[in-house]
Amino acid sequence: MEEATAYLRDGVLSHLEKLEAHARTLALKQEETQQQQEKLARLRARVQELRLQRDELQTKVNLQQVGLIRQERGTGSNVEPIQAVEARGKALLKWEVENVKSMLQAFHLTGISGKLTKQGVCFCISTAYERTYLDSYYLDLLIQQPVQIRHHSVPIFIPLEEIAKKYLQTDIKRFLAMLSDHLNAYAGRKYQADQLQEHFSAFLEGTLQRNLLQNVLLFNYDVETESKTFPFRAKLVYGDVTRCLPTEAIITCKAGDVSASLLEKTAAHSNLFCHTALHKAFDSFKRAAERLEQTA
Amino acid sequence: MLDNTGFTVLIYKLQENCAGIKQAAILDMIYNHTYPNKKVWTVYQMTRVAGEETDSLNLADFKYKFKRSLQTALKNVTINFREYEDNALWIRIAWGTQYTKPNQYKATYIVYHLQTPYVFISSLRSNLPLLCQALVHASNYHDIHEMELRSRCLDSLKDIVFKRYSQTFQTYHPRPLQERNVAPEKVDPRIIQENKREKERIQRVNQEVFGNGLQPKIEFAQYKLETMFKGEPEMDILTEKEPFRCVVKFSSPHLLEALKSLAPAGMADAPLSPLLTCIPQKARNYFKIKERKDILSASCLGS
Repeated sequence: MEEATAYLRDGVLSHLEKLEAHARTLALKQEETQQQQEKLARLRARVQELRLQRDELQTKVNLQQVGLIRQERGTGSNVEPIQAVEARGKALLKWEVENVKSMLQAFHLTGISGKLTKQGVCFCISTAYERTYLDSYYLDLLIQQPVQIRHHSVPIFIPLEEIAKKYLQTDIKRFLAMLSDHLNAYAGRKYQADQLQEHFSAFLEGTLQRNLLQNVLLFNYDVETESKTFPFRAKLVYGDVTRCLPTEAIITCKAGDVSASLLEKTAAHSNLFCHTALHKAFDSFKRAAERLEQTA
Repeated sequence: MLDNTGFTVLIYKLQENCAGIKQAAILDMIYNHTYPNKKVWTVYQMTRVAGEETDSLNLADFKYKFKRSLQTALKNVTINFREYEDNALWIRIAWGTQYTKPNQYKATYIVYHLQTPYVFISSLRSNLPLLCQALVHASNYHDIHEMELRSRCLDSLKDIVFKRYSQTFQTYHPRPLQERNVAPEKVDPRIIQENKREKERIQRVNQEVFGNGLQPKIEFAQYKLETMFKGEPEMDILTEKEPFRCVVKFSSPHLLEALKSLAPAGMADAPLSPLLTCIPQKARNYFKIKERKDILSASCLGS
């Protein structure tokens, strides 16, 4: 205020001039500070940007360094992300394949299994007798009207045509079941006769005569009783070709005069053969003979 | 059959030792059983009328009926039987006529397995209808016809009709492969197989068609063509009316093995023509090929 009165003594216009100049300098200063502030703000923003970039680059460098270290260590686990996934995928696939294979194997072991072919289906009938798996037989069927057998590996003496005539067109399940019965029974009879020839040839006199279908067997065997050996002749007829046991067992003693006890023995043997598997019957003979030897 | 001089010598020797015709015949049969490949065998198949049940035939019955059937029709025949372990019945027949004694030098041989409908006959020059009738009557069948299947190897013929040869079937359960006698070659690693994939494909196709085991042994396959000649339309001499008749005959000491090795040897494309590969399956090696509607069915028309 005192300045104002001092200036008023000099004159109003000069006072106004001075005020104007003052205002101008003030405005200039204001502008300057404003500019500076803007500049500052810009620079701050730039600094932020640069800081961010720096951080990014820093993390990248860090990762690479870590990677290099891991490679140096030589564990190879740096490739884990991609290859671990692959390995796991392979293991899974392998497990699935094994699973399918064992399922197919299980089907095969049930006795009747099949595989679709281009024009039909190929059935496999596996035969077995008492815990032993024997041969497999194949049937290649054409699925059309009428169903045809393209080719097969069923032996000639199995009445395939007859069974096919009866059931192939109408009831395939029954056809396969019947064929399976025939084949399994044939395989079982053959197995019994083979076992007899292989393991009990000591009891047999001469050769075991058998026909192709293995349903008529003729053999001579020795029976020791009353401290003498008698030659017996056996004729086994398997009347029902879907069974593994004979329907008829004709045992005769070839000795001159046959005592009552011998006749009993032939009857007993006949009964035995009709109810027990052939090789098991001879196994019982063998054990009986061994027991006799031990007691003697 | 022992050749003529051989048989004559045999007869004299046997006569020296007071042996008879029967012993000579049996000896002849033993010889032929041991060397069956000296003859060409033809396969005949017997058929039943639909509906007739198969009854189990007795060997003794068969022999009796057969002998009686032949001897009532023709007095001068010599018939001998011999059974072998594989259930094969060998029959030797020496034929005579009404006025002549049986000719022992040109005997016919017949092999029959009792529970099968197949009969194998060799050296039959006449009296076929008589023989067929006797066979059918004795074995309780209705009819008999000749299959178009001939070979010198009797066992292979049996393998084909009894289906004892290895066939391939599509299956999920692969049978164990038989060991192959392949000596490991010392392969120079600098040698690269250019056509490796093609070779593998050929091997695979061959295996699918022929299987893994040894093929049955036949010596020839004959194709009678009665197809129209297909040529340029300008050359209309032959194109038209008459089918062009020709006979193609393949022969080899072991035909099927030779066919099996054609594709791997690079001499033929795989897969081979089904006309060649169907021989064991169709159980025939004589074909008649008529005009094509469907060649495979034409060849089944039979002779």
